[in-house]
Amino acid sequence: MIVVEHLTKYYGEYPAVRDVSFSVEKGQVVGFLGPNGAGKSTTMRILAGFLTASSGKATIGGKDVFWDPIEARRRIGYMPESCPLYTDMRVDEYLWFRGGLKGLGRSERKTRMGYVLERCWLTDVRRQLIGTLSKGYRQRVGLADALLADPPVLILDEPTAGLDPTQIRETRKLMRELGQMHTMLLSTHILSEVEATCDSVIVIYQGQKVADGSLAAVRQRHGNRPLEDIFVRLTGQEGI
Amino acid sequence: MRPTMSLIRREFAAYFTGPIGYVALFGFLTLSGFLFWIVVGLLTEKGPRGVEYPMQVMLGGAENPEWALVAGVLFWGLFPAVTGIITSRLIAEERGSGTLEALLTAPIRDWQVVVAKFTACFGFYLLLWAVTLVYVPVLTDLRAEWTGTFTYYAVVLLVGLLFLALAKVGFWFEFNGWLVLFLGVAGLGLTGAGAYFHYTADETQLVKLTAGIDPRPVLTSYLGVVLAGAMFLALGLLVSSWVKSQLVAWMLSLLLGLCFVLPAALRWAFEPGTMGYSLGYYLGVPEHFRRDFTRGVIDTRPLVLYVSVTLACLYLTVRSLEARRLR
Repeated sequence: MIVVEHLTKYYGEYPAVRDVSFSVEKGQVVGFLGPNGAGKSTTMRILAGFLTASSGKATIGGKDVFWDPIEARRRIGYMPESCPLYTDMRVDEYLWFRGGLKGLGRSERKTRMGYVLERCWLTDVRRQLIGTLSKGYRQRVGLADALLADPPVLILDEPTAGLDPTQIRETRKLMRELGQMHTMLLSTHILSEVEATCDSVIVIYQGQKVADGSLAAVRQRHGNRPLEDIFVRLTGQEGI
Repeated sequence: MRPTMSLIRREFAAYFTGPIGYVALFGFLTLSGFLFWIVVGLLTEKGPRGVEYPMQVMLGGAENPEWALVAGVLFWGLFPAVTGIITSRLIAEERGSGTLEALLTAPIRDWQVVVAKFTACFGFYLLLWAVTLVYVPVLTDLRAEWTGTFTYYAVVLLVGLLFLALAKVGFWFEFNGWLVLFLGVAGLGLTGAGAYFHYTADETQLVKLTAGIDPRPVLTSYLGVVLAGAMFLALGLLVSSWVKSQLVAWMLSLLLGLCFVLPAALRWAFEPGTMGYSLGYYLGVPEHFRRDFTRGVIDTRPLVLYVSVTLACLYLTVRSLEARRLR
């Protein structure tokens, strides 16, 4: 579903992503791991069409994100990091607006909105201003927005950042359920989350891919150690 | 089409869910109300003094009495400030709060985003001026009388108005975008043509209008205001796409806007007929209004300036959004 080939992105002189290639099969849930500043968000932004790669190629469901951006974006539900929203709108107004932006018709929008409100536990706050919602609820609104057009691919940038343990558990449960219907690429620092929700992982460090494969395969390759040890060793900070 | 329409609706509504729309309305209407008060004073004054072109005073082009000049300077100082307030939030706010990421990753093209945002702020600008239409009956000493005779042109006019009303209702109730666009354009054309022929070719009118003061300068003034406004708004939109702070965007667009206002004041420094004088005239928007639009003259030179600067700025805004991806 997602194919990335030799993706490189320079910010000025600084290479944020260097020659990264990977592919995600249909129906897979892939954890995208790496320390802060490793290039996770940059890669996801290129896939979502917010940034353009310096070189390399990325396709979503066969549509190139650079040459056919509209069709590629139609196939993606993207949730940006820290989930920016219009604080002056109500939850249902916002989702209605986003539905229109994604080209859904009236009746389709109505049914999809009912579905995502239910799915993301937002029905109680549907008339509330987004500015008055807590972090956890905002995250859910962002997730609802990503799910709105029923895209085959979900790209979620740190969906559990800044949530409390109960919310993390709820979100994780939701991810597992969504993973059965969508192809998913989610970035996170929380390794237990990867073990709980993902089929396979991609580890990226200083803009380069350092490990890739199913959870079991990655573990086996590194001597069946806990994922945390593998992560620390791959990202070159073993002494800590 | 549907994404564009959705974005226009959201951007237009955003003026009323935050303080910005009300600030712009308050500032603008206070000043235009003050100018109107001056005009009414001049129109009702006894004796030989008075006013030849009421619209000239309304749009800050009069030089006497003194307070009309002061109000005129205030008006043209505030004009780029008001258009700046309207446009500064459009892209700068989204860049600052990060919502631009959500917007630009939706399946909508960059030029659609720019067109939608421009349409929304232009709509709000037209709303500002639509409020001042209540002054027009006084400014033209208008008398209206219902005669009830329907001619063909009157029917065309009414059908045009009906189309416009339908387009407006259809826009808010989310009819098909192309249908709304068609109704709007057709309505505008029918209304314009119907009104023109009804009041020039027909012998009796549905509503008989008699104006004590020539109403044509009012029409040309509004034409000028609409197009000049589009230019200032497009400039503001371009500036808004450069920065992340609304305040900086506002100040920059005020500065750029003044580049098209201040040359009008320079004309005193040059002899008529010199290069400097004509340059001051070409770029000084207040001068276009003082000399031409408010006196009923349609000069195509300013119109070409307004339309070309508007289109150039919109094009550059699209490029500026695209360039942001390549950073």
